[in-house]
Amino acid sequence: MPDWKPEIRGRLIGLRLAPTREAAIVEELSQYLDDCHEELLAGGATPADAYQQTLAELTGSEALARELRHVERPVAPEPLTHGTNRRINMVADLWQDLRFGARMLVKQPGFTLIAVITLALGIGANAAIFSLLDAVLLKTLPVKRPEQLVFLENEAPEFKRSSNISYAEFERLRMQGQELSGACFFSYTTRVNANVSGQSEAVEGQMVSGGFFSVLGVPAMIGRTFTEDDDKESAEQAVAVISYRYWQRRFGSNPAVIGESVNLNGVPFTIIGVTPPEFLGVILGNAPDVFLPSVAGERILPRRFRFRDSSLPFILARLKPNLPAPQAAAALTLTLQQSRLAEASGSSEKQQAIQKQTVNLPSAAQGFSELRRQYSQPLRLLLAAVALVLLIACANVANLLLARATARRKEIAMRLALGASRFRLIRQLLVESLLLALIGGATGLLLASWCSGLLVAVVTSSRNPVTSGSQLSLNVPLDARVFGFTALVSLLAAVVFGLAPAWRATRLELSPVLKDNASGLGGGGRVRWGQMLVVMQVALSLMLLVGAGLFIRSLINLKSADLGFQRENVLLFSVDPQLIGYRREQIGSLYRRMLERIGTVPGVQSVTLARQGLLSGGGTQGSIKIPGHTPPADENSFSEKRGEKEWNAPWFAQVGPRYFETLGMTLLRGRDFTAQDHETSMKVAVINEAFAHYYFGDEDPLGQRFDRGNDGGEVEIIGVVKDAKANFIQERTPRTFYVPFLQDPGAWRETTFQIRTVGEPMNLANTIRSVVQEIEPNLALFRVRTLAAQIDESIGQERLVTTLASLFGLLALLLTCAGLYGVLSYSVNQRTSEIGIRMALGAQTGVVLRLVIKQGMGLTLLGIVIGIGASFALTRLLTNLLFGVNATDPLTYDSVTVLLLVIALLACWFPARRATKVDPLIALRNE
Amino acid sequence: MTHVNSQKLDRELKKGSAELLILSLLEARPRHGYEIRKLIEARSDGVLKFNAASLYPLLYRLEKRGWIEGKWVEKAGQRRRRFYKLTKDGRKALAAQRSIWESFVAAINRVARPENA
Repeated sequence: MPDWKPEIRGRLIGLRLAPTREAAIVEELSQYLDDCHEELLAGGATPADAYQQTLAELTGSEALARELRHVERPVAPEPLTHGTNRRINMVADLWQDLRFGARMLVKQPGFTLIAVITLALGIGANAAIFSLLDAVLLKTLPVKRPEQLVFLENEAPEFKRSSNISYAEFERLRMQGQELSGACFFSYTTRVNANVSGQSEAVEGQMVSGGFFSVLGVPAMIGRTFTEDDDKESAEQAVAVISYRYWQRRFGSNPAVIGESVNLNGVPFTIIGVTPPEFLGVILGNAPDVFLPSVAGERILPRRFRFRDSSLPFILARLKPNLPAPQAAAALTLTLQQSRLAEASGSSEKQQAIQKQTVNLPSAAQGFSELRRQYSQPLRLLLAAVALVLLIACANVANLLLARATARRKEIAMRLALGASRFRLIRQLLVESLLLALIGGATGLLLASWCSGLLVAVVTSSRNPVTSGSQLSLNVPLDARVFGFTALVSLLAAVVFGLAPAWRATRLELSPVLKDNASGLGGGGRVRWGQMLVVMQVALSLMLLVGAGLFIRSLINLKSADLGFQRENVLLFSVDPQLIGYRREQIGSLYRRMLERIGTVPGVQSVTLARQGLLSGGGTQGSIKIPGHTPPADENSFSEKRGEKEWNAPWFAQVGPRYFETLGMTLLRGRDFTAQDHETSMKVAVINEAFAHYYFGDEDPLGQRFDRGNDGGEVEIIGVVKDAKANFIQERTPRTFYVPFLQDPGAWRETTFQIRTVGEPMNLANTIRSVVQEIEPNLALFRVRTLAAQIDESIGQERLVTTLASLFGLLALLLTCAGLYGVLSYSVNQRTSEIGIRMALGAQTGVVLRLVIKQGMGLTLLGIVIGIGASFALTRLLTNLLFGVNATDPLTYDSVTVLLLVIALLACWFPARRATKVDPLIALRNE
Repeated sequence: MTHVNSQKLDRELKKGSAELLILSLLEARPRHGYEIRKLIEARSDGVLKFNAASLYPLLYRLEKRGWIEGKWVEKAGQRRRRFYKLTKDGRKALAAQRSIWESFVAAINRVARPENA
């Protein structure tokens, strides 16, 4: 008898079986081969033949090895596992589920592709909006322990952008306060003329006190940051720290920049350091290019930056660790009061007022931001909208999964029959959903990274609320937070769209499914689920479309609103002669020469100037007194409006000659300003209708006088103009007066020239630029733009919201359409035999068409009714974002309903057409 | 009946039905590997053939799955042999597979039978 064992062993090499196991297999197989060999010999074969034939039993042993490799694994990887409820092997099971899930997805690329695209759109939209929301609303400054940072300010409603704390008080609070581990102050950013090796450009500068970087805990990336000594009168040289971006842009990231000199407004500064790339300053959206010590800054910047004379704009302090802000605020309040009481003269009234003053310490962890207030509500709203879009997308995927579950019921029934627990199967199906969601999420992130760039472009192109005019810069990276958010959303989505189908798919009547191919998972049940999802989708898209419709109407209203002036054909540009060293008395004559010269340029109809352009987002208020007039009771009072303190005082504008003519405002009475209204002529003012009505009622205002106090003394009213929008299109024009710029001591800052042209305004831009250069070669023109463009900028937020809301509305509509189409197609398939019988019995095409369309439109109508109800309840939240349109605007509701009905009809049409193509014979044979 | 022995059909059939065959053969009583091989060959009139390399992987797989159970049995004067018997789970699986097989065969027949027969 030959020994088979070496032959067998040779074929098991490489499997690395456990020795006892291998011995058992070898014994069993050699026993088998012995039997075989014996039988062959008994049958009369020669020993050689018998040996050969017996060995042939081992042919194909690579299959043996392969099978053994599978079988001898601790976990059987076959899909048709028996399944147990044991808790051990959780991880191994999960791995198996994942591999199996991946295989199932690859097996049906069409399904996978559609599901992934749907999810990617939904998740991507969420990720994009979140990344923006995170950057604007949630993210803390990239500094050391941001939660310890506070703004230090005295309660001071009338000075919105000031701490209302003087430099002396700041020093006292900083030195005496046991509560603070450090304090510094800084200004808002301002334009500075920077000259590096002969080349001039306007950059954003920010004045900071010496402790700025050490309080924040921001180290220099190269070089060093400021010390307190850099910010003293005694400092040996003027130094500056530059931002990473400016370093990259202007110095080509050359590390040798340290020690280089840069001329700021004509004064040389030595660059001592570069800030790290992630640090974009502490005012969100206003990233400075150059940081200047406050003492040096005061020397080169206009008068309004001499903070040491008045109050400091922003004070930033770091609390001692673990000290609660209220406790620190109480102690600092005491210090501030003592300091002020010591200074105050004896009057007890004043002393009592001081004792009411407090120090507030709002958190500075996120830095200072006007953007946050402006975009808080719109961004939350958009996030809600994209969440709804995602929900609709999930419903579509759930529908696909339901359909697939029907196709897979055999597999599922088999597994249940073989003893797999339902929990185990649901888990398997959920893992598949999770895989889908993760692939969708990853694709969505790609989409988001592309979209958020666009979003940031729109947000930052809207007007800059802090320093009107500067370009906003915002850092919106797709970082770990966005990544985490996306993962979380994907996970949630997987549960939302996967759980119900998995639950349903595993609730089976086993025997019918196993016995017979026809049914078992109630086809009707699957349709009912699908129908519910479609109704929900229709309702949700109606809500989104209604929201979008309201925003569109609102935007149209904003664009067509009566502004009170002519927006077309006006060219604007701004200058600030103080930046190149002009003194106040020189500025008047410079402006006069510019007005005269520009007026002679061909194509210029008229030219004027104003402190601020119309609808540029800024305005000025000042209190007045009218001799012999008792002002209305609420004059000069403060009121709280949308979280902002509002001062009830008239607005005013310092403007040039022919202002009303140039801007096309309607002069109701009196005259326009002329070149003869100058420093030494009679002080005059033009008022608007609102002003006239508020102070004079029916009295004739012409010739009346009012007193502007320190701002300009007594002026005589020489004209009345029709109300015109000045700050926001949305506002009711407040009472406003206009004074000649030469007669207002506060007018000597950045000024905007306004030129009415005959043709396209931008065509004149270069001519105007060269004309100005002739007069003053060093004067830089900035923000050269048309009035129309500036107005468009002023409604940037509204445009952003409208564009996105419409986009999301359409996306929702598209997804809903796909959902409706899918459910109807499925239902037509299910009802093929019914339709066949009907047609066999003589039903006409029209009847069949109606049958299917009726089903689809019934669902749509139900969804619309629910959606309208929900919209009525929810759109009220939009009220304060709308302009000139009611949240329950019937036109919007009607058009959205019609749009939805038409699109739904389209989605029903194709399945219905297919139903009419059913061949009764084939349909009946299916029975 | 024609003698079908093309390798391809063989492989396909074995893949789909070998488990069912083994389970069926073990329904009546426990058997050892060589016996199973001979029985399949005999009862199929030689249409279905297994060798050691194709049979044992199946047996081990079924055993691993808990549907059959192998046991070494020693009889006086003989070498010990490994006998396989059907487990409770195996019985369930057999019933399920049989019903699938039957509906499959019935379906094939419905499709394949000559029209107008």
